[in-house]
Amino acid sequence: MQYENVRTTCIYCGCGCAINLQVLDGEIVGVFPDPQHPISRGSLCIKGWNVASFVRHPDRLATPLVRQGEGFREASWDEALQLVAERMGAIYAASGPQSIGFLASAKCTNEENYLLQKLARTIVRTNNIDHCARL
Amino acid sequence: MTNSVPEFSAHTNCFLIIGSNTTEAHPLVASHVMEAQQRGAKVIVVDPRQTQMARLADLYLCPRPGTNVAWLNGLMHVIIAEGLQDASFVQERTEGYEELRQVVMTYPPEKVEEISGIPADDLRAAARLYAQHKPAAILYAMGITQHTTGTDNVKSCANLSMLTGNVGIAGGGVNPLRGQNNVQGACDLGGLPNVYPGYQAVTAPEVKEKFEQAWGVAGLDDQVGLTVTEMIEGAGQGNVRALYVMAENPLLSDPDINHVRHCLEQLDLLVVQDIFLTETAELAHVVLPATSFAEKDGTFTGTDRRVQRVQKAVEPLGESKPDWQIICELAQMMISGSRFQVPNLQPETWNYASPAEVMDEIAPVTPIYGGVSYERLEREGSLQWPVPTADHPGTPYLHKGKFSRGLGRFHAIHSQAAAELPDEAYPFTLTTGRLMFHFHTGTMTRRTEKLAQEVREAYVEMHPDDAARIGLDGAERVRVASRRGEIELAVRVTPAIRPGVVFIPFHFAEAAANVLTHAALDPDSGIPEFKVCAVQVEPVT
Amino acid sequence: MREQICKLVAEKLPELAGVVALRQTAVGTAPYLFREGDDLSQLVLEPRYPLPSVVSMLQKRYPEARFGVVARGCDARALVEMAKRNQIDPERLYLVGFTCSAEQAAECYCAAPAPDTAGWPQAMVVGVPVAGAPPNPLVAQYEEMSLAERRAFWQQQFAKCIKCYGCRNICPECFCEACALEDPLWVEAGMLAPPFPMFHLVRAMHMASRCVACRQCELVCPAHIPLTVLYDLMRRDIGELLGYEPGADIAAAPPLSLTLADGMVHGQDQLL
Repeated sequence: MQYENVRTTCIYCGCGCAINLQVLDGEIVGVFPDPQHPISRGSLCIKGWNVASFVRHPDRLATPLVRQGEGFREASWDEALQLVAERMGAIYAASGPQSIGFLASAKCTNEENYLLQKLARTIVRTNNIDHCARL
Repeated sequence: MTNSVPEFSAHTNCFLIIGSNTTEAHPLVASHVMEAQQRGAKVIVVDPRQTQMARLADLYLCPRPGTNVAWLNGLMHVIIAEGLQDASFVQERTEGYEELRQVVMTYPPEKVEEISGIPADDLRAAARLYAQHKPAAILYAMGITQHTTGTDNVKSCANLSMLTGNVGIAGGGVNPLRGQNNVQGACDLGGLPNVYPGYQAVTAPEVKEKFEQAWGVAGLDDQVGLTVTEMIEGAGQGNVRALYVMAENPLLSDPDINHVRHCLEQLDLLVVQDIFLTETAELAHVVLPATSFAEKDGTFTGTDRRVQRVQKAVEPLGESKPDWQIICELAQMMISGSRFQVPNLQPETWNYASPAEVMDEIAPVTPIYGGVSYERLEREGSLQWPVPTADHPGTPYLHKGKFSRGLGRFHAIHSQAAAELPDEAYPFTLTTGRLMFHFHTGTMTRRTEKLAQEVREAYVEMHPDDAARIGLDGAERVRVASRRGEIELAVRVTPAIRPGVVFIPFHFAEAAANVLTHAALDPDSGIPEFKVCAVQVEPVT
Repeated sequence: MREQICKLVAEKLPELAGVVALRQTAVGTAPYLFREGDDLSQLVLEPRYPLPSVVSMLQKRYPEARFGVVARGCDARALVEMAKRNQIDPERLYLVGFTCSAEQAAECYCAAPAPDTAGWPQAMVVGVPVAGAPPNPLVAQYEEMSLAERRAFWQQQFAKCIKCYGCRNICPECFCEACALEDPLWVEAGMLAPPFPMFHLVRAMHMASRCVACRQCELVCPAHIPLTVLYDLMRRDIGELLGYEPGADIAAAPPLSLTLADGMVHGQDQLL
């Protein structure tokens, strides 16, 4: 039996509100605002209050998928990542670094954006990296 | 943002809110604005839609979409004509005032009324309110930036703020409200084609050398890369053959999505890393399951440059993995394979034990994040960049005492029309945006019942006069068409929108507003003109 | 006071599944279930969180377990009303009450800043009770207003509502599975602000005989709507009309609660 709150940051706009995810026995059971946060000050909007509802949604992707005809088949991580490395490598060899592009993400963390641009810039040697800041 | 959200409730005495549906798109910023208003601060809202924030405002101006430069120049005209500018700030801290003055003096309120539709007296009232209640903060969102004149609009906001000496003081400034949780951080950390982390230009030789040393590689690309829109266009033309997409959904978020689909279909390899099978992922060759925010550690940087922790609450679902881990594993495979020319790189350099270690690598190469560490974030809660060193307290507001370039530069700018104006065939101006109850392409919020039940389907907002003009006559659905495509959706008739303008939220795949929008871009920023395009509307019977 | 509470919690923990209280760590303070062996130096008393709701959730998840809770006066009142509506089981709860300071009481306009544990099966109070604070002056101002002015007042206040449902979500007495506020019959969905006045009137009606004046709804409101003005008056009217004070007496039956049995509606009083 374990109940705790994990303090994290809301994902539904740039305000940067703090949220406490209530976790009971390894599952999220609710959300509390944080009265001590300088921006959200103990409040949230409807999106913040419901920010965790999709985390265990049945539509969540739970395994890598590889295209098969019109649809997909499930694959192991090893197979899927090998396939990406191999096919991207083939395109790189045939058409050069500027034929490959990367979209980083305004929804992912700082560290993830840093790593993706580092991958694009050091391994593929391209500056073709952008994200939907403008959208 | 030049300033901080908490300053709004604490210090700001006047808000000029432009093209921001603040209570819906940035509700907790609106909370600070409402608190300031309770203690007597003035609120001016400028928007073609009379949003909730506009209804709460002391003064509401309703311009034609795409006329921001004109009315901002008009506001400055009034301020200069009535001697309300901050002469000493202009004298001591700026340059280019005379050129600015000459341009804005050609925008008297009556002329501005003709261009923008804002009554001349309302413009005068707004100018006086803004100039006479210091500190005054400009808040804006995509209603300023998503125009072919987006950069001009931003510069005009900066002109106005400097003219009145509102830069470099607590509670003032020019404050873009960032729409997505980490759009600030994605920009800060080099998720842009022209800069490395910390906005260091890829074209600067000394910067290139610095990163080559830090990353242990030679021969980094010194040319500016492609933007999203250019990559997608490149895919259509065959120049871009592989696209790796991390948690983005361009097939709903980008302009003219019929064209986007066509382009993405030409790719030899489309890889999508996401938590749901998005519209874009459905086209992919390989889909990699990522974890949600609740299943990983990291940091986000909020709209006021505030770096904050993201903390793992629960274990990843199924076989899903955090994005950072996926990237590291892929990088190791790419290095180990024979295809890429990476003689100096070792797979082991991509063995990060945790995102904290990644931040330890970020800080030394990213001056604005120089003093950021997980240890400090735990102790201090958040850090606002620039935070150059471990003992620097962070920066609540920018440009105090001095601009980073020395003097603040005024930009004398003339008004220009939007790229596609209404005409006889397409008589309405379409503007797009968000709703309170959904986020971006709806991937997460439409799967959240408490949000979905508030607004289940797309709709178009239309003024009653326009409804009469198209003979809506009680019909509940309409067809909206532009030169790019058409969609069918519900209609909401409301007086809270400028006649001649229609609004569609872009969250809904089955009636996607971006089927209609066009990829006319701001020449400097590359931002599409989502806020103005021409459409026709007809009832569906 | 904190030390006294920690000592009491440490003594009781061996016989409880855990104690619900606030835990302060490097990243912030939030509700936590302290279990035997946990570091009680992390147990703190500020800021305010709706701990009774956490107790209710835990008791429902673990129908056999006995818990403790560190509770203020308002938390104890909330637990009383929850007990009457089968949201918590007082027999399975040890109440570690503590008194609020005069300053805290003044900040909350709290009339009863100490837990009243009379009638509680297992309870203890730490601290010396202070006198109740005078009510929110806004209530008196409001009562000076004409009907038209009152309407204008609420119209202006509720125009700020951003429909976060925070007032409902944070409320220890709001626990219905299906909420009338989400029923389009009562409140048109998807509108901002929610059309005046149904959202807030419906909630106010549902709080009659339930509101224990904990003020959480007002603290959580991003639009700074002075909700306790509404609820203070509601509490006063319920007291005057029905002689009932929510949260005061665990043995008193709530006057507006109805039960269904044998296909018939049974009320405590013959209100119908």
